[in-house]
Amino acid sequence: MLAPFANEPILELRRSAVRAQLHHALERVDATLPLEVPVWIGEDSRTGDRLLSTDPGNPDRVVGRAPAAGGADAEAAVAQARQGLREWRAVRAQERAGALVAAAQWLRERRVELAALEVRECAKPWPEADADVCEAIDFLEYYARGAIELGRGRELLQVPGEHNELRYVPRGIVAVISPWNFPLAIPCGMTAAALATGNAVVLKPAEQSPAIAYRLVQALRAGGVPPAAVSLVPGDGDAGAALVRHPDVHAIAFTGSLAVGREIVRSAADTGDGQRHFKQVVAELGGKNCVIVDADADLDEAVPAIIGSAFAYAGQKCSAASRVLVHEAVAEHLLERLAGAAKVLVVGQAETLGTDVPPVIERAAQERVARYCRLAAEQGRVVAQAQAPDGDGWFSPATVASDLPADSPVLGDEIFGPLLAVQSVRDVEHACDVVDGLAYALTGGLFARDPSVVRRVRERTPVGNLYVNRGITGAMVGRQPFGGNRLSGTGMKAGGPDYLLQFVEQRAYSENTMRHGLEV
Amino acid sequence: MSASGQAAASPVDDRVEAELRRVGAKLEAALPSASHQPLKVLDARAMELASSDRELRAALFRFVDVVPACRSLDDLARHLTGFLAEVSDSPPPISAAMRISHTKAGRAALGAAAAGGVKHLAHRFIVGESPRSALGTLSKLWDHGVASSVDLLGEATVTQSEADHYAARCSEAIEVLAPATRRWPAREHLESDSVGPVTRANVCVKISALTPLLRPDAPARGQRDAARRLRPLLRQAAHAGAHLHIDMESLDSREAVLELALALLDEEDFRDGPSTGLVLQAYLRDSPDQLAQIMDWARSTRRRPPLKVRLVKGAYWDQELVQARQHGWAVPVFERKQDCDRNYEGLTRTLLDARPALRVAIASHNLRSVSHAIAYNRVSGGRDIDLELQVLRGLGDELQHALASEGYRVRTYCPVGDLVAGMAYLVRRLLENTSNESFLSEQARGTPLDELLAPP
Repeated sequence: MLAPFANEPILELRRSAVRAQLHHALERVDATLPLEVPVWIGEDSRTGDRLLSTDPGNPDRVVGRAPAAGGADAEAAVAQARQGLREWRAVRAQERAGALVAAAQWLRERRVELAALEVRECAKPWPEADADVCEAIDFLEYYARGAIELGRGRELLQVPGEHNELRYVPRGIVAVISPWNFPLAIPCGMTAAALATGNAVVLKPAEQSPAIAYRLVQALRAGGVPPAAVSLVPGDGDAGAALVRHPDVHAIAFTGSLAVGREIVRSAADTGDGQRHFKQVVAELGGKNCVIVDADADLDEAVPAIIGSAFAYAGQKCSAASRVLVHEAVAEHLLERLAGAAKVLVVGQAETLGTDVPPVIERAAQERVARYCRLAAEQGRVVAQAQAPDGDGWFSPATVASDLPADSPVLGDEIFGPLLAVQSVRDVEHACDVVDGLAYALTGGLFARDPSVVRRVRERTPVGNLYVNRGITGAMVGRQPFGGNRLSGTGMKAGGPDYLLQFVEQRAYSENTMRHGLEV
Repeated sequence: MSASGQAAASPVDDRVEAELRRVGAKLEAALPSASHQPLKVLDARAMELASSDRELRAALFRFVDVVPACRSLDDLARHLTGFLAEVSDSPPPISAAMRISHTKAGRAALGAAAAGGVKHLAHRFIVGESPRSALGTLSKLWDHGVASSVDLLGEATVTQSEADHYAARCSEAIEVLAPATRRWPAREHLESDSVGPVTRANVCVKISALTPLLRPDAPARGQRDAARRLRPLLRQAAHAGAHLHIDMESLDSREAVLELALALLDEEDFRDGPSTGLVLQAYLRDSPDQLAQIMDWARSTRRRPPLKVRLVKGAYWDQELVQARQHGWAVPVFERKQDCDRNYEGLTRTLLDARPALRVAIASHNLRSVSHAIAYNRVSGGRDIDLELQVLRGLGDELQHALASEGYRVRTYCPVGDLVAGMAYLVRRLLENTSNESFLSEQARGTPLDELLAPP
């Protein structure tokens, strides 16, 4: 019997004794770099150096080295998965859960080193890296318990002479295509959900974070998941596309950009090549997340929360705040405080405690952010900027902009960087109109103290995760099931009670129990 | 019972308990009776109403919290009725208030009454909008044998200009208070102890308000930034002959504040002054370790004026508990009232024993805690003049009166600032005051003296 689920406590970094561990962990990890990340299909593994992941804060430092998986690898991985599926689906839910919980323990025992690896491979500042590792542990523990529950099937209406059952069985082979911004938690969540429900998984991680994904697969296999049931195919977009296309893949779990998500949905809809099923697509895509600030908001709370939601991890979160819609009565005061708070942000290396804004993931990202900043300056006004330091990393300044025209791409596009646009609105109804006009609907925030306003915004908002009087990032497994609507996502929310349903088929069973007038 | 709660009572403990009862009885007898202060009775009734009903309490606090952000009487009424609507069982006066809110005129009246009520409540706790406007009250307190300490309320500091503004207000407070207090008449028991003179002008400062850069996981940058604003204030206080007291806030900044304070005070420039102080929060489980750290520092420093340590229970209990529980961390505060009270007494004794290396201020409204401090001081051979008692304006007024009339040195903590700035402070005080476990509500309920003075 598993104890009730509880979130893994993050490191208490406000204590100096806890902070002292970090430096040593980083040294230990540095000594192992670059990590050889294999194409790991069943028991077969091969290494290579076509794919290099580098430290965004020091691009000369190679963190992971991997072959670039191709079409043949995808084929081999799916073949292995077929075998792995046969083995794994026969394991009882309780034992599958046990393997996930053991994998969680493997991660827990190495949590500081794993965080250190994220600091290096993805320039995640320590608090963000630690939270990501904790979230990965949470997904394993949470879905393990969910799998046991699903394993019991569902209660159906029973009448005399008839026995009815509803069971959940695995869909089959799941391709997991994961991003770099939560490089352990997101691949872990999608993979764990698929494995918990008896599926076999082929994991294609982002080319920016293969090393961390490798650690995840190590954890799962060490916990007891058969090697054939979880394979790793590091590679670029082509490797992912090959898996999506494959007629023997039953489901695709994807987290990433809207553009790639659209392509996956399109490709997966095709049932050619003798395929005898429709592919299930579970997609968590982008956002253009707005924080509404009403006239009675507590600005002492709103300002730090908005700054954190916009600029932590350089805004590279699908949940990040990218727009503020503030009631005109307090707009000037809020903008002044946001500007002042933004100016004192520290743009620096992820490994340095106290860094607010680390370098962005790669050169292309840096260039994209710079492009949008130029646009913001041309079309509107740059109100404040925390300058990026000199150095080789992909540093981007943290920027607050205002007075942008309604059709500005700065207001509509997902920028995925440290750029926040602030605008004044007549009132909360007007703010809700703006939010309703967007194609994305992932997270949203509201700072207001009138209960009727809170009720109204709850009614009108389309977002999947509304946060009231707090920041809009940092969703916790079990507490804030995460996922968006409209073009922000396709299905049920991660870290919530319904997520596993996407990875199963339903089988109903009904038996006549009467024999010659007697119930047997 | 001894401070550890484990060992058997010693002869000293028995003497302390006996003296404690004598002191406590005299103090209780010296408390002013309710009939002399009709306005206080009204407030007490409101507090009582709030204490007895959790939902009502929450509604009232949410209202108090939002008052400064309301822009019109209608706005005030809308918020008040919004909060009260969520209370499932409104007492008759509340239902009556809800009924008049259906018309515009009714809302205006309700809004005005509610805002008036909150302003009245605020004035009980806040002595004035600025140090200058507070001088009258502070001077009257001195005339009645009560010293004071001024604390500047303000919005959170999130920008550099807000930090500069706060530092300027602190500077203004020193500049206004130091000369003004010099004109006050002599009050020997308020302005000297066995070590020497006790300064009249007393200003509290919050490190977190002196910088927007303080981060719990990376204190150094914020410490440096706060230090560059604090040094000139220390110099100014030394020159003006004022005492500067460094407040302690939540655990997030505790390490940073203590480290910064001790480091700054060790600097050459501050060897001879000003008189300064720190705060020790008894509700923190590791407070004995902090005290050990402070005492080590006091023993080895070359600084001449002894550091004053104000012993408080702690004002962020709910916040610390919730934060720890949300993150799955060990709860840093004592969760049971008696454990905190016991710790308070243990720390009291250690502090009193540490004199004259330290000066001691016991800040409590708990009759037992206060009597214990006075009793232990006497039993261990100390003079009354070497112990200062402190109370909060608005909450400790009765105790202040009793202590002053018994001739003890009592100092009242007087917040200064406008209504907007004062809200967070006010809500915290109300929370403390209406908690069922609060000593004041026990007293109000007519609990017998023996029970009030029982060991924790």
